[in-house]
Amino acid sequence: MSCVTERSNSEFELSDEHSKDNDISFSDESQERYKWSKRLGEHYLTPMSRRDIDCLLKFWELKEQWKEFTAKLSSSAKIAMHPAYQQIIGMGQEAIPLILAEMRCEPGHWFWALRSITGGDPVLPEQKGRLKEMTESWINWGIEQDYIDE
Amino acid sequence: MSEQVLEKEFPGLTSSNYRITSDLTGEYNCIAWAANETDVWWEPDPYDLYFWPPGIQRTYTLDAYINAYGTLGYTTCEDTEYEEDYEKIAIYLDSDETPTHAARQLDSGNWTSKLGSLEDIEHNSLDDIICYEYGSSVVVMKRPK
Repeated sequence: MSCVTERSNSEFELSDEHSKDNDISFSDESQERYKWSKRLGEHYLTPMSRRDIDCLLKFWELKEQWKEFTAKLSSSAKIAMHPAYQQIIGMGQEAIPLILAEMRCEPGHWFWALRSITGGDPVLPEQKGRLKEMTESWINWGIEQDYIDE
Repeated sequence: MSEQVLEKEFPGLTSSNYRITSDLTGEYNCIAWAANETDVWWEPDPYDLYFWPPGIQRTYTLDAYINAYGTLGYTTCEDTEYEEDYEKIAIYLDSDETPTHAARQLDSGNWTSKLGSLEDIEHNSLDDIICYEYGSSVVVMKRPK
């Protein structure tokens, strides 16, 4: 029942106009497939440069929210449970270079996020709790792993 | 951070009952500050990211905090009154009895607190920084000077 419009050799999608006029003719499954195909289309067709900017803006916005609402807290567990921080963790690998760049400018409690995303921790036992040294360890790790430039 | 922001975050603070005594820094927290440490963040986090005295349980419980300060010679006591021969600290607890903050008593009888990643302040009484996040009850500990 779906209406597929050929837009190029490699690009197919449901016609928006058609879907609006004929909503009743689409099953739940086909609508779900349509949503997924749109997401895939965006993923493969949005220029990389545009995606980088979107990602950066999202990170910036979340970071500002997180800092504003957690400044008075003394527990990294509570700091890390803030929804904005959790969303940054949810950005996954894309967030790593942004976090490391932020740490270079202003050390902060990004260790929980980095640990959650990477599953690792380059901080030595004697550096635990020493924010400057912990930050330095993660930045060196980021350089070694090619997430950021030297 | 300005006084205006601190007074908004901590409604009990007024221009007459506290003063800012440091710059903004996130290098240490209140738990470390109460223990006289200014270059390390004390916390019993489950990822083992931060410093916590070796051998003390890494849990956010009053027992763990009492034991952590116990490594520095502190023992629990009854009151918050200034005693010349003792140094005192106070551990704040929220409604779940989870430790949220710690303050240290100064020779003046006032208290000093590091407010999260904000500044250190000197405040007249423990009640001055009561807020939702910090809770309103305290457990006091002391050690000989």
